[in-house]
Amino acid sequence: MEKNHVIELLPAYLDDLLNETQKKNVAAHLKGCESCSQELEELKKLFEAFDREKELDTSDKLRTNFFEQIELEKQHTAKVVSIDSTSIQRKNNWTNTFLKIAASIVLLVGTYYFGKQQQEQISGKEIAQLTDESQAFKQTAMLSLMGNKSASKRIQGVNFIEEFSEPDEAIVNALADRMLNDENTNVRRTAVEVLSEYTSSETVKNSFIKALKTEKDPGIQITIIQVLGKIQEKKAAASMQYLLEQDDTQPYVKDELESVLPNII
Amino acid sequence: MEKLTDEILMAKVANGNLDMLKILFERHHKHVFNFLHKMCGDRMLSEDITQEVFYKLMKYRTSYNNGKFVSWLFTIARNSMNTHFRRAANHTDDIDAMDYKLVAEEEEQKDYSDLHLAIGQLDTSDRELVILNRFQEIKYEELAEIVGSTPGAVKTKVSRALKKLKTIYFQNS
Repeated sequence: MEKNHVIELLPAYLDDLLNETQKKNVAAHLKGCESCSQELEELKKLFEAFDREKELDTSDKLRTNFFEQIELEKQHTAKVVSIDSTSIQRKNNWTNTFLKIAASIVLLVGTYYFGKQQQEQISGKEIAQLTDESQAFKQTAMLSLMGNKSASKRIQGVNFIEEFSEPDEAIVNALADRMLNDENTNVRRTAVEVLSEYTSSETVKNSFIKALKTEKDPGIQITIIQVLGKIQEKKAAASMQYLLEQDDTQPYVKDELESVLPNII
Repeated sequence: MEKLTDEILMAKVANGNLDMLKILFERHHKHVFNFLHKMCGDRMLSEDITQEVFYKLMKYRTSYNNGKFVSWLFTIARNSMNTHFRRAANHTDDIDAMDYKLVAEEEEQKDYSDLHLAIGQLDTSDRELVILNRFQEIKYEELAEIVGSTPGAVKTKVSRALKKLKTIYFQNS
């Protein structure tokens, strides 16, 4: 311990900057070490000399000069602020605010219309899809009804045509088939009545002309003659002539034919 | 306002409240001046550099990094003085040789205590440590920041410098 001098710890020892253990060690060493003790005494004197040393005062000029510099810097900063930041910033702020508001309005309106359009597109698609679906469903229902064994169901199926705004080829063909081939008079008559609404179609016209030859029921014959006479279908003339010449044609059907034929030809 | 720490005041200055610099000036200008005076022994020069130090504080206020204010202040003081003597050294011989010659010529002996004269005989780095540590009561941590070293190394350096100073001091008296 004695060889291990504590000279370097002495300033901190005097300043009371050492921890308890260090303090004890230094104190213990000092008791047994004359050179370190002397060192400590000298250091104490030196520190006393430091304490006696007076701080010099500065001249007032130093303070005055510096405070003037502060004022100058303030003016400089204020100028810089007024030209560079404040006014421009205010202007910028104003335009910025305006632009921000404008942008938000545009965004809002834009989003509204976009959403609306999107919604319309979607609902439009949905409606189209639903229409398609219901159309297909109706068609299936109609066709299956027309194929039913029961005559009344078949009539119901034929009447289903009212559900369609524009019946397609398949339905028209199915109706024509009922008109020409159905064993039940009532079904055939209903088919004729329904098809008379669609005389602009070539398929319908041809079917009527064909039915004129095959149809044996006088009531239906008259209806067909009246429909063809109404549209003045010239191609029907031959069939009408044929029907007129048949022996088994009912006299009142012949009367009807005779009144209609001159109008067609 | 007077009770706010140096760090808070300097932060306010950095944010543009320049009046807070006046409080900092009142608190510290004497210490800076005395540090410089003990370092170079030239009163006029010390005042000039003191003013320069506070001017730099104001000018570079935004670069204040919220560290210990005293460390920053004395770093600036130390650098300003070094810059001055480096510039002067271009015209004269060398830094350590010139600074105390100045003293002897310009001011009268009676202005200096034995201690001051003894300190003047230390080399610059020892002198700086002794002055900052003993007169300005700057702690080892901050002292390390100022001179760019570690607290432990500074502690050892200070105690060695004090031993040298003690020897010089007791030889003279």
